Amino acid sequence: MRMIKTIRLATLLSAGIVVQQPLYAAESSDRFVFVGYGDVKYESADVAGTDAFSARFVPIFLFSLNDKMHVEAELEVGLNEDGETETELEYADIHYFLNDNTTITAGKFLLPFGQFSANWHPSWINRSIWTPGIYGAHGSSQAMDPMLPILSDVGVAAQQVYQVGSAKVFFDVFMTNGPRSEAEHDEEEVVEDDHDIAFARLFSPTTTLDPDVDEDEHGEAFPEVEFEATSSDNNSNKAFGGRIAVAFLPSIEIGTSYYQGAYDEGGQLDIRANGIDINLISTHAILRGEYIRTETDAFVERDHEDVIDSFSRNGWFLQGTFFVGHLFEELGSTEIVIEHAQTKKVEEAERWMVGINYWLDPRSVIKVGYEDTDVADGPDDKRFAVQFSYGF
Amino acid sequence: MKNQSTINIFLLFASLFASLNVDSSEPLSGAELINNNCARCHNSRPIQEFSMSEWKVIMPHMREKAHLTGTEVQAILNFMEIAATPAKAVKVIEPVTIAVDPREVLTRYGCQGCHQVQGAGGTLGPSLDNVISDRGKAFFLRKVKEPQFNNASSAMPQMPITDEELEVLAEFLSPK
Repeated sequence: MRMIKTIRLATLLSAGIVVQQPLYAAESSDRFVFVGYGDVKYESADVAGTDAFSARFVPIFLFSLNDKMHVEAELEVGLNEDGETETELEYADIHYFLNDNTTITAGKFLLPFGQFSANWHPSWINRSIWTPGIYGAHGSSQAMDPMLPILSDVGVAAQQVYQVGSAKVFFDVFMTNGPRSEAEHDEEEVVEDDHDIAFARLFSPTTTLDPDVDEDEHGEAFPEVEFEATSSDNNSNKAFGGRIAVAFLPSIEIGTSYYQGAYDEGGQLDIRANGIDINLISTHAILRGEYIRTETDAFVERDHEDVIDSFSRNGWFLQGTFFVGHLFEELGSTEIVIEHAQTKKVEEAERWMVGINYWLDPRSVIKVGYEDTDVADGPDDKRFAVQFSYGF
Repeated sequence: MKNQSTINIFLLFASLFASLNVDSSEPLSGAELINNNCARCHNSRPIQEFSMSEWKVIMPHMREKAHLTGTEVQAILNFMEIAATPAKAVKVIEPVTIAVDPREVLTRYGCQGCHQVQGAGGTLGPSLDNVISDRGKAFFLRKVKEPQFNNASSAMPQMPITDEELEVLAEFLSPK
């Protein structure tokens, strides 16, 4: 059985090994580049009672092995509340450019589900200081329970790009180790800082911020699911999914995504997610948004028997960025950002965010933002922050 | 079992599309590709920020991120080579004794990759049709020479355009 699965994985990696076309030959000096981004943030959050500066440094290492293979790795380096340096391997993968429009990726890679994880999350790209309410992780600590907070996972992926008339069509598929039940982890593990809290509550459709309470509105208990990427899998079922998107560039990109993965050791309980993402770009504004719906299987007791039932949640965010400096030249490179996010069922919350960004150059921005989160069954959350973010 | 069959479907789908190779019938210029793709996620980075050696390593990274084809990456690198070439080198290639056609200048530097001229071109930057009537010739000349002088976040590259080419372009864009 395991052999068959291995053969299948090999099939995916080797599928369609067709005529190779060298695109450009890398010269010996064109092999390595060190880029990345970083940020410094002051944040005042009333519920958490925090009022502090924080900093992150996120180097990206790019290495061209040859014109067909490209290696990339990104580390996130930051300080926790105790002054200890924390590092996280955000991604480390190799791309193999199979032909002109096909790329195979293997390793730990950004998951092509929606656009935030794959493209918008770096702080010099995200127009907001904070992660959207339906996403978690990546250093965020937030009052909203995220929907599908997967940034990256370990496995293989394939990407195909088509030109269809004036439109481009993007296909992405992936297979990864997937999620696991949080209960399988060491219960003695102490959740201390914001980052860990975000991971611990990755998918916790509960009515409380306490991750130990696992009941929905009907009082039915089910385990929490953890998505943090590891080099192990608690079952033989791999998570899989993908994204199909149509883009009428440079103005519109609309995509739909799917994710499915078994999280229990027996491989009987799945989490499934569907998403829709939109990105509208004009000379004066950008509108970005995503909708995610999840269904999580769990054992529930019915007539003294354990049966599998599914619990659903949904949520969305919409972020508008307006280049006011394009309309009023005296405002220079100033932007106004407005974002609204909602999560529904089990853990309901609603958030408004307003911000002003001032770009010092195309990759350095000072952001000032205010965020107000209304949590249905929990304390509301209000935050103010100033962030200086830079890409390099 | 359900998971197994979906994996099979996934593998079949992956195998099918990996074996296909669809070419764009109307390839875009490098400037148009920069206009169309960079701003989907972030401000376009000035071409001069990195050397060509560095861009040749960065672009394969962006190829996967932005869903670019290999041909498109090569077109962008070709345009970057032009933009990164010092103006003096262009003067050698284009002797000043040859009359300069403004449309050739627009094409050579990929202006319409990001700007509209007479209804044709990109939208990353403003239309050039009324730039001189609205902002004056002095603004236009300085903007081309120092793209970030009035907007620090402008992604416009500093092109190796000659003074003669710039004068011809200004004349072409001036109100008749």
